Amino acid sequence: MDAAPPRVLAIDSALAACSVAVLAEGRIAAERREAMSRGHAERLLPMVREAMAGAGLDFQALDLIAVTVGPGHFTGLRVGLAAAQGISLATDRPLAGVTTLEAVAAATAIADEPLVVALESKRADLYLQVFGDGRPLGAPMALTPEDAVNALPPGPLVLAGDGAARLMTVLASGRSVRRLGPDRPDAATVARIAASRHGTAAALPPLPLYLRPPDVTLPKAAAR
Amino acid sequence: MLALGIETSCDETAAAVVDGDRRIRSSVVASQLEHHRPFGGVVPEVAARAHLELLQGLVRRALEEATLGFDDLDLIAATTGPGLIGGVIVGSTLGKALALARGLPFLAVNHLEGHALSPRLSDDVPFPYLLLLVSGGHCQLLAVEGVGRYRRYGTTIDDAAGEAFDKAAKKLGLGFPGGPAIERAAKAGDPKRHPLPRPMIGRPGSDFSFSGLKTAVAHAADAIGRAPTDQEQADLAASFQESVASSLADRTRNALRRFADEFGPGHTLVVAGGVAANTRLRQVLGDLAAREGVRFIAPPLALCTDNAAMIAWAGIERRRLGQEDGLDVAPRPRWPLDAEAPPAPYAGAKA
Repeated sequence: MDAAPPRVLAIDSALAACSVAVLAEGRIAAERREAMSRGHAERLLPMVREAMAGAGLDFQALDLIAVTVGPGHFTGLRVGLAAAQGISLATDRPLAGVTTLEAVAAATAIADEPLVVALESKRADLYLQVFGDGRPLGAPMALTPEDAVNALPPGPLVLAGDGAARLMTVLASGRSVRRLGPDRPDAATVARIAASRHGTAAALPPLPLYLRPPDVTLPKAAAR
Repeated sequence: MLALGIETSCDETAAAVVDGDRRIRSSVVASQLEHHRPFGGVVPEVAARAHLELLQGLVRRALEEATLGFDDLDLIAATTGPGLIGGVIVGSTLGKALALARGLPFLAVNHLEGHALSPRLSDDVPFPYLLLLVSGGHCQLLAVEGVGRYRRYGTTIDDAAGEAFDKAAKKLGLGFPGGPAIERAAKAGDPKRHPLPRPMIGRPGSDFSFSGLKTAVAHAADAIGRAPTDQEQADLAASFQESVASSLADRTRNALRRFADEFGPGHTLVVAGGVAANTRLRQVLGDLAAREGVRFIAPPLALCTDNAAMIAWAGIERRRLGQEDGLDVAPRPRWPLDAEAPPAPYAGAKA
């Protein structure tokens, strides 16, 4: 394995923002970040171009491409994955996936209490995952706030993510809850996570994490 | 000039490499038929997921089969509309990313322009020509005057022809997709058995309508009062197919006459789109062209149904004129070839 840290281009467009970061020689050499509820497909690749130019790097100088795979908004996470797949294919560099939930968890200071990352899904449910000491304590879930209450550990909690406010409304008023960490994932964190896993068994495949089947019902009378 | 083309606007994921001498170096298509069959039609979210899953592998295969690498390419062309937006976003974004990472020009191709220019790839047809574009999503007659220069003579005011095939097949219990199913069943059928309406025939202009015909097939099927026998299915399928073909031919005849008034005699009639795979339709249109004294071109089937070779070719045609698109170009669910043409209110994107 190379002794030098990998040069990583990281992309996130899975939620209500686009961000792009270039990690080189162990530090963030350039990043771009824009909040947006729509228009990811128009903005993401110009932002990639700006970040690469800002870092003064050619695409062939990269060692790794990293992307958030969800859970998130279906359209946005496909924009990110398709962009990352294209760059990986064109440069013949590996592509690593990072979940939005672990990216938010990694950007939240570690506390004594369990951390619940909650992200808005644009639907009734929230995307959730519980972490302790920086490690996942369970799998990512899609649950309504009401159902989520039963899936959370008892006792004091730390909440992160843009779904925290909605989760807070269903938690018992006497419960000790602290709000910490960012609302959304950020490409700089995604780059660092991917770099730390590069070449190890912990590297995640770049497969979309939808957590929900397509909204479609089978016809009642099946075709002959 | 070598172009990589990408097509993801409906339920086929496709990639192709085409050169400036009209040679298709490779063209690979992955049908998502099995993904959608359980639902009896194309489900947009299912399609979007499948495109993302399949496209990378197809681009790799297209380059391998052409024995070329990214270094050999001169441009990347990807369908950027119109179509099911989830798939269009996947294909255009991946195409933009390839272009950016390789420093190549990106051409955001209108899927309909891909169909419209396909006879120039297959048969080197000179401008101008009259195009009948018939597919599951579109049904229109266009005067093709040059790259980017299209005038719509007529369009459907409700359903696309391919959609009518799908719905009729579903009603007859013939399965999905309906075009090949109807054609297969119609072979053993009597096209005169059911006096179905022949929509729009005799009316001036070149607009289409298939909604009434679809209903008439449903009524005829219901009138049988039980599951139709194979022969009943065949007769209805044949009657339906004949009705569609004669309506398309009637509308096309009017368009050919207008075209001759505007451009003079002796040009070419081209039929493209998935429904152009129908043998009976080709026959009827070929006869019409012979009567009207024009050449008739139906590109090979693989170029009529959705494919990426026509997208690569449209990219080449546009690049030759010095065109290029930005990485900020927006994927478009609707993107008429003739922006001046008035909207057909009940047809939506199909017009």
